[in-house]
Amino acid sequence: MKPVYWKWLLLVGRLGLALIFLAAGIAKLREPWAQFAVSLYGFKLLPDDMLEPIAKTLPWAEVALGVAILSGIWLRWFSFLASLIISVFLAVLIRSLAIGLQVDCGCFGSGEALGPMTIVRDSSMLALAAAVTVGAFRMHKTHTVK
Amino acid sequence: MRIAHLLVPALLVSGMAALAQAPTAPKKPAPTPKNFKLSGQATATVTIEIYTDYECPHCRKLYLETMPEIETKYVKTGKIQVLHRDFPLPGHQYSKLAARYANAAGQLGQYEKAVTQIFTTQADWSQNGNLDGAMAKVFAAGEMVKIKELVKNDAHLDDTVTADFEMGRKDALTETPTLMVVKGGKREKISGFMPPNILGSYLDQVIARK
Repeated sequence: MKPVYWKWLLLVGRLGLALIFLAAGIAKLREPWAQFAVSLYGFKLLPDDMLEPIAKTLPWAEVALGVAILSGIWLRWFSFLASLIISVFLAVLIRSLAIGLQVDCGCFGSGEALGPMTIVRDSSMLALAAAVTVGAFRMHKTHTVK
Repeated sequence: MRIAHLLVPALLVSGMAALAQAPTAPKKPAPTPKNFKLSGQATATVTIEIYTDYECPHCRKLYLETMPEIETKYVKTGKIQVLHRDFPLPGHQYSKLAARYANAAGQLGQYEKAVTQIFTTQADWSQNGNLDGAMAKVFAAGEMVKIKELVKNDAHLDDTVTADFEMGRKDALTETPTLMVVKGGKREKISGFMPPNILGSYLDQVIARK
Protein backbone atom coordinates (compact mmCIF):
# COMPACT_ATOMS: atom_id res chain seq x y z
CA MET A 1 0.00 0.00 0.00
CA LYS A 2 1.25 3.47 -0.81
CA PRO A 3 2.40 5.58 2.15
CA VAL A 4 -0.31 8.13 1.42
CA TYR A 5 -3.00 5.49 2.11
CA TRP A 6 -1.37 4.63 5.41
CA LYS A 7 -1.55 8.28 6.28
CA TRP A 8 -5.26 8.46 5.50
CA LEU A 9 -5.91 5.21 7.34
CA LEU A 10 -4.12 6.55 10.39
CA LEU A 11 -6.20 9.73 10.21
CA VAL A 12 -9.44 7.74 10.11
CA GLY A 13 -8.30 5.52 12.99
CA ARG A 14 -7.22 8.53 14.99
CA LEU A 15 -10.59 10.26 14.51
CA GLY A 16 -12.44 7.07 15.45
CA LEU A 17 -10.39 6.62 18.61
CA ALA A 18 -10.83 10.27 19.58
CA LEU A 19 -14.60 10.05 19.07
CA ILE A 20 -14.80 6.95 21.26
CA PHE A 21 -13.09 8.71 24.17
CA LEU A 22 -15.07 11.91 23.67
CA ALA A 23 -18.37 9.99 23.53
CA ALA A 24 -17.51 7.95 26.63
CA GLY A 25 -16.48 11.00 28.65
CA ILE A 26 -19.35 13.26 27.57
CA ALA A 27 -21.97 10.55 28.19
CA LYS A 28 -20.73 10.20 31.77
CA LEU A 29 -20.56 13.94 32.31
CA ARG A 30 -24.17 14.33 31.21
CA GLU A 31 -25.26 12.21 34.16
CA PRO A 32 -24.80 12.90 37.87
CA TRP A 33 -21.32 11.75 38.94
CA ALA A 34 -23.02 9.48 41.48
CA GLN A 35 -24.37 7.40 38.59
CA PHE A 36 -20.86 6.54 37.42
CA ALA A 37 -19.88 5.91 41.05
CA VAL A 38 -22.71 3.33 41.19
CA SER A 39 -21.26 1.59 38.12
CA LEU A 40 -17.76 1.61 39.61
CA TYR A 41 -19.12 0.24 42.89
CA GLY A 42 -20.70 -2.65 41.01
CA PHE A 43 -17.30 -3.93 39.85
CA LYS A 44 -16.25 -4.48 43.48
CA LEU A 45 -12.65 -3.50 42.85
CA LEU A 46 -12.27 -0.08 44.40
CA PRO A 47 -12.49 0.91 48.05
CA ASP A 48 -15.58 3.03 48.79
CA ASP A 49 -13.59 6.19 49.44
CA MET A 50 -12.02 6.00 45.96
CA LEU A 51 -15.34 5.87 44.12
CA GLU A 52 -16.13 9.57 44.30
CA PRO A 53 -12.75 10.96 43.18
CA ILE A 54 -12.55 8.49 40.29
CA ALA A 55 -16.18 9.05 39.26
CA LYS A 56 -15.55 12.78 39.18
CA THR A 57 -12.21 12.77 37.35
CA LEU A 58 -12.22 9.84 34.93
CA PRO A 59 -14.86 11.29 32.56
CA TRP A 60 -12.84 14.53 32.26
CA ALA A 61 -9.68 12.51 31.65
CA GLU A 62 -11.48 10.64 28.84
CA VAL A 63 -12.57 13.92 27.25
CA ALA A 64 -9.05 15.34 27.57
CA LEU A 65 -7.55 12.24 25.98
CA GLY A 66 -10.11 12.39 23.18
CA VAL A 67 -9.20 16.01 22.47
CA ALA A 68 -5.47 15.19 22.59
CA ILE A 69 -5.88 12.32 20.10
CA LEU A 70 -8.06 14.49 17.89
CA SER A 71 -5.37 17.20 17.81
CA GLY A 72 -2.76 14.72 16.57
CA ILE A 73 -0.07 16.14 18.84
CA TRP A 74 2.16 13.40 20.31
CA LEU A 75 -0.27 10.94 18.77
CA ARG A 76 1.94 7.93 19.35
CA TRP A 77 2.08 8.58 23.10
CA PHE A 78 -1.59 9.51 23.54
CA SER A 79 -2.76 6.54 21.49
CA PHE A 80 -0.41 4.34 23.54
CA LEU A 81 -2.02 5.76 26.71
CA ALA A 82 -5.46 5.09 25.22
CA SER A 83 -4.44 1.47 24.52
CA LEU A 84 -3.31 1.06 28.13
CA ILE A 85 -6.55 2.53 29.49
CA ILE A 86 -8.74 0.36 27.26
CA SER A 87 -6.66 -2.69 28.28
CA VAL A 88 -7.37 -1.97 31.95
CA PHE A 89 -11.10 -1.48 31.26
CA LEU A 90 -11.21 -4.68 29.22
CA ALA A 91 -9.45 -6.67 31.94
CA VAL A 92 -11.96 -5.39 34.51
CA LEU A 93 -14.89 -6.28 32.25
CA ILE A 94 -13.59 -9.79 31.52
CA ARG A 95 -12.99 -10.43 35.22
CA SER A 96 -16.49 -9.18 36.13
CA LEU A 97 -18.12 -11.32 33.48
CA ALA A 98 -16.06 -14.35 34.51
CA ILE A 99 -17.11 -14.15 38.16
CA GLY A 100 -20.73 -13.55 37.19
CA LEU A 101 -21.20 -9.97 38.35
CA GLN A 102 -24.43 -8.45 37.08
CA VAL A 103 -23.33 -4.88 36.63
CA ASP A 104 -23.99 -1.84 34.56
CA CYS A 105 -20.95 -1.40 32.32
CA GLY A 106 -21.03 2.39 32.67
CA CYS A 107 -18.78 2.57 29.59
CA PHE A 108 -20.86 5.10 27.68
CA GLY A 109 -23.08 6.29 30.51
CA SER A 110 -25.56 4.15 32.42
CA GLY A 111 -28.08 1.62 31.17
CA GLU A 112 -25.86 -0.98 29.51
CA ALA A 113 -25.70 -4.32 31.27
CA LEU A 114 -22.33 -6.03 31.02
CA GLY A 115 -22.42 -8.96 28.59
CA PRO A 116 -20.32 -10.77 25.97
CA MET A 117 -21.07 -8.05 23.41
CA THR A 118 -19.47 -5.49 25.71
CA ILE A 119 -16.28 -7.55 25.64
CA VAL A 120 -16.40 -7.84 21.84
CA ARG A 121 -16.90 -4.09 21.49
CA ASP A 122 -14.11 -3.19 23.92
CA SER A 123 -11.76 -5.69 22.25
CA SER A 124 -12.43 -3.96 18.91
CA MET A 125 -11.69 -0.63 20.54
CA LEU A 126 -8.42 -2.01 21.89
CA ALA A 127 -7.50 -3.31 18.42
CA LEU A 128 -8.18 0.14 16.98
CA ALA A 129 -6.13 1.90 19.67
CA ALA A 130 -3.25 -0.56 19.18
CA ALA A 131 -3.37 -0.10 15.40
CA VAL A 132 -3.32 3.69 15.75
CA THR A 133 -0.40 3.44 18.19
CA VAL A 134 1.62 1.20 15.85
CA GLY A 135 0.75 3.39 12.86
CA ALA A 136 1.70 6.57 14.73
CA PHE A 137 5.04 5.11 15.82
CA ARG A 138 5.80 3.90 12.26
CA MET A 139 4.80 7.23 10.77
CA HIS A 140 7.00 9.05 13.28
CA LYS A 141 9.92 6.74 12.51
CA THR A 142 9.51 7.25 8.75
CA HIS A 143 9.48 11.02 9.15
CA THR A 144 12.46 10.94 11.53
CA VAL A 145 14.55 8.73 9.19
CA LYS A 146 13.77 11.02 6.26
CA MET B 1 -91.76 26.15 90.08
CA ARG B 2 -93.00 28.72 87.64
CA ILE B 3 -89.46 29.91 87.02
CA ALA B 4 -88.42 26.33 86.30
CA HIS B 5 -91.32 25.96 83.87
CA LEU B 6 -90.15 29.04 82.03
CA LEU B 7 -86.43 28.19 82.15
CA VAL B 8 -86.65 24.71 80.67
CA PRO B 9 -88.39 25.73 77.43
CA ALA B 10 -86.13 28.77 77.15
CA LEU B 11 -83.03 26.62 77.39
CA LEU B 12 -84.44 24.14 74.88
CA VAL B 13 -85.24 26.91 72.41
CA SER B 14 -81.81 28.54 72.75
CA GLY B 15 -80.15 25.15 72.41
CA MET B 16 -82.07 24.36 69.26
CA ALA B 17 -81.26 27.80 67.89
CA ALA B 18 -77.59 27.16 68.56
CA LEU B 19 -77.80 23.81 66.79
CA ALA B 20 -79.61 25.37 63.87
CA GLN B 21 -76.87 27.95 63.56
CA ALA B 22 -74.09 25.37 63.72
CA PRO B 23 -73.97 24.55 59.99
CA THR B 24 -73.45 28.19 59.08
CA ALA B 25 -70.63 28.66 61.62
CA PRO B 26 -67.14 28.65 60.05
CA LYS B 27 -65.87 25.11 59.84
CA LYS B 28 -62.38 24.00 60.73
CA PRO B 29 -60.74 22.72 57.56
CA ALA B 30 -60.49 18.95 57.45
CA PRO B 31 -56.91 17.83 58.11
CA THR B 32 -55.11 16.83 54.93
CA PRO B 33 -54.44 13.10 55.06
CA LYS B 34 -50.72 12.53 55.64
CA ASN B 35 -48.93 10.76 52.83
CA PHE B 36 -47.42 7.87 54.74
CA LYS B 37 -44.94 7.21 51.93
CA LEU B 38 -43.37 10.62 52.47
CA SER B 39 -41.04 11.26 55.38
CA GLY B 40 -39.12 14.33 56.47
CA GLN B 41 -39.90 17.97 57.04
CA ALA B 42 -41.82 20.01 54.49
CA THR B 43 -39.19 22.76 54.73
CA ALA B 44 -36.54 20.51 53.15
CA THR B 45 -35.38 21.83 49.78
CA VAL B 46 -34.42 18.44 48.37
CA THR B 47 -36.58 15.36 47.96
CA ILE B 48 -35.40 11.94 46.96
CA GLU B 49 -37.97 9.71 45.38
CA ILE B 50 -36.94 6.08 45.71
CA TYR B 51 -38.43 3.61 43.27
CA THR B 52 -38.21 0.08 44.61
CA ASP B 53 -39.56 -3.36 43.94
CA TYR B 54 -40.03 -5.47 47.06
CA GLU B 55 -38.54 -8.57 45.43
CA CYS B 56 -35.44 -6.80 44.10
CA PRO B 57 -32.28 -7.71 46.09
CA HIS B 58 -30.55 -4.40 45.37
CA CYS B 59 -33.62 -2.53 46.63
CA ARG B 60 -33.41 -4.55 49.84
CA LYS B 61 -29.75 -3.65 50.17
CA LEU B 62 -30.43 0.04 49.53
CA TYR B 63 -33.29 0.12 52.00
CA LEU B 64 -31.54 -1.77 54.78
CA GLU B 65 -27.92 -0.64 54.35
CA THR B 66 -27.99 2.87 52.89
CA MET B 67 -31.26 4.43 53.96
CA PRO B 68 -30.86 4.17 57.77
CA GLU B 69 -27.77 6.41 57.60
CA ILE B 70 -29.47 8.80 55.18
CA GLU B 71 -32.49 8.90 57.48
CA THR B 72 -30.33 9.86 60.47
CA LYS B 73 -28.12 12.39 58.73
CA TYR B 74 -30.47 14.00 56.25
CA VAL B 75 -34.13 13.26 56.93
CA LYS B 76 -34.25 13.72 60.71
CA THR B 77 -32.14 16.86 60.42
CA GLY B 78 -34.65 18.39 58.01
CA LYS B 79 -32.30 18.51 55.03
CA ILE B 80 -34.26 16.21 52.72
CA GLN B 81 -37.59 14.49 52.35
CA VAL B 82 -37.85 10.89 51.19
CA LEU B 83 -40.73 9.64 49.09
CA HIS B 84 -41.09 5.91 48.66
CA ARG B 85 -42.41 4.94 45.24
CA ASP B 86 -43.41 1.43 44.21
CA PHE B 87 -42.23 0.08 40.90
CA PRO B 88 -43.16 -3.62 40.89
CA LEU B 89 -41.34 -5.30 38.02
CA PRO B 90 -43.41 -7.63 35.84
CA GLY B 91 -41.19 -10.66 36.49
CA HIS B 92 -41.69 -10.50 40.25
CA GLN B 93 -44.95 -12.23 41.06
CA TYR B 94 -45.35 -11.15 44.70
CA SER B 95 -44.11 -7.56 44.52
CA LYS B 96 -47.55 -6.06 44.06
CA LEU B 97 -48.90 -8.11 46.93
CA ALA B 98 -46.04 -6.93 49.13
CA ALA B 99 -46.86 -3.34 48.17
CA ARG B 100 -50.49 -3.97 49.21
CA TYR B 101 -49.34 -5.17 52.61
CA ALA B 102 -47.07 -2.15 53.04
CA ASN B 103 -49.85 0.23 52.04
CA ALA B 104 -52.34 -1.50 54.33
CA ALA B 105 -49.91 -1.08 57.22
CA GLY B 106 -49.45 2.52 56.10
CA GLN B 107 -53.18 3.11 56.57
CA LEU B 108 -52.64 2.11 60.19
CA GLY B 109 -49.63 4.43 60.52
CA GLN B 110 -47.12 1.59 60.38
CA TYR B 111 -45.67 1.99 56.90
CA GLU B 112 -41.97 2.12 57.78
CA LYS B 113 -42.25 -0.87 60.09
CA ALA B 114 -43.96 -2.89 57.37
CA VAL B 115 -41.50 -1.91 54.63
CA THR B 116 -38.55 -2.79 56.85
CA GLN B 117 -40.06 -6.18 57.66
CA ILE B 118 -40.97 -6.90 54.05
CA PHE B 119 -37.42 -6.20 52.89
CA THR B 120 -35.86 -8.03 55.85
CA THR B 121 -37.84 -11.19 55.13
CA GLN B 122 -37.61 -10.90 51.34
CA ALA B 123 -35.88 -14.27 50.94
CA ASP B 124 -38.77 -16.04 52.73
CA TRP B 125 -41.98 -14.63 51.28
CA SER B 126 -40.60 -14.21 47.75
CA GLN B 127 -40.56 -18.03 47.55
CA ASN B 128 -44.23 -18.55 48.30
CA GLY B 129 -45.97 -15.20 48.75
CA ASN B 130 -46.54 -15.81 52.46
CA LEU B 131 -46.57 -12.18 53.51
CA ASP B 132 -48.99 -12.94 56.33
CA GLY B 133 -46.31 -15.03 57.98
CA ALA B 134 -43.63 -12.39 57.46
CA MET B 135 -45.78 -9.56 58.80
CA ALA B 136 -47.14 -11.53 61.74
CA LYS B 137 -43.63 -11.66 63.18
CA VAL B 138 -43.67 -7.94 63.95
CA PHE B 139 -47.35 -6.97 64.05
CA ALA B 140 -49.77 -7.76 66.88
CA ALA B 141 -52.68 -10.10 66.17
CA GLY B 142 -55.19 -7.21 66.23
CA GLU B 143 -53.13 -5.23 63.74
CA MET B 144 -52.75 -8.25 61.51
CA VAL B 145 -56.53 -8.68 61.36
CA LYS B 146 -56.89 -5.08 60.15
CA ILE B 147 -54.01 -5.39 57.68
CA LYS B 148 -55.40 -8.61 56.19
CA GLU B 149 -58.84 -7.07 55.97
CA LEU B 150 -57.46 -4.08 54.06
CA VAL B 151 -55.33 -6.27 51.77
CA LYS B 152 -58.37 -8.38 50.98
CA ASN B 153 -61.05 -5.73 50.58
CA ASP B 154 -59.61 -2.25 50.00
CA ALA B 155 -60.06 -1.56 46.31
CA HIS B 156 -57.96 1.62 46.52
CA LEU B 157 -54.90 0.04 48.11
CA ASP B 158 -53.13 -0.18 44.74
CA ASP B 159 -53.90 3.40 43.71
CA THR B 160 -50.54 4.79 44.81
CA VAL B 161 -48.75 1.81 43.23
CA THR B 162 -50.43 2.51 39.89
CA ALA B 163 -49.63 6.22 40.17
CA ASP B 164 -46.00 5.48 41.13
CA PHE B 165 -45.64 3.07 38.23
CA GLU B 166 -46.94 5.69 35.81
CA MET B 167 -44.54 8.24 37.25
CA GLY B 168 -41.74 5.70 36.86
CA ARG B 169 -42.55 5.35 33.18
CA LYS B 170 -42.42 9.13 32.81
CA ASP B 171 -39.04 9.08 34.56
CA ALA B 172 -37.94 6.46 31.99
CA LEU B 173 -37.05 3.88 34.62
CA THR B 174 -35.18 0.84 33.40
CA GLU B 175 -34.28 -0.79 36.69
CA THR B 176 -34.75 -0.73 40.43
CA PRO B 177 -33.70 0.75 42.71
CA THR B 178 -33.74 4.15 41.06
CA LEU B 179 -33.47 7.42 42.90
CA MET B 180 -34.82 10.68 41.60
CA VAL B 181 -33.13 13.55 43.35
CA VAL B 182 -35.49 16.51 43.08
CA LYS B 183 -34.58 20.11 43.74
CA GLY B 184 -36.39 23.16 42.43
CA GLY B 185 -38.38 21.05 39.97
CA LYS B 186 -35.23 19.53 38.45
CA ARG B 187 -35.17 15.73 38.56
CA GLU B 188 -31.86 13.84 38.44
CA LYS B 189 -31.92 10.10 38.01
CA ILE B 190 -29.48 7.64 39.57
CA SER B 191 -30.07 3.93 39.06
CA GLY B 192 -28.63 1.05 41.03
CA PHE B 193 -27.48 0.41 44.56
CA MET B 194 -25.55 3.24 46.13
CA PRO B 195 -23.46 2.97 49.29
CA PRO B 196 -24.30 5.56 51.97
CA ASN B 197 -21.09 7.56 51.58
CA ILE B 198 -21.71 8.14 47.87
CA LEU B 199 -25.37 9.06 48.29
CA GLY B 200 -24.52 11.27 51.26
CA SER B 201 -21.76 13.08 49.41
CA TYR B 202 -23.99 13.57 46.39
CA LEU B 203 -26.84 14.90 48.54
CA ASP B 204 -24.47 17.37 50.24
CA GLN B 205 -23.60 18.69 46.81
CA VAL B 206 -27.25 18.99 45.71
CA ILE B 207 -28.31 20.64 48.98
CA ALA B 208 -25.50 23.19 48.64
CA ARG B 209 -26.57 24.10 45.09
CA LYS B 210 -28.47 27.38 44.73
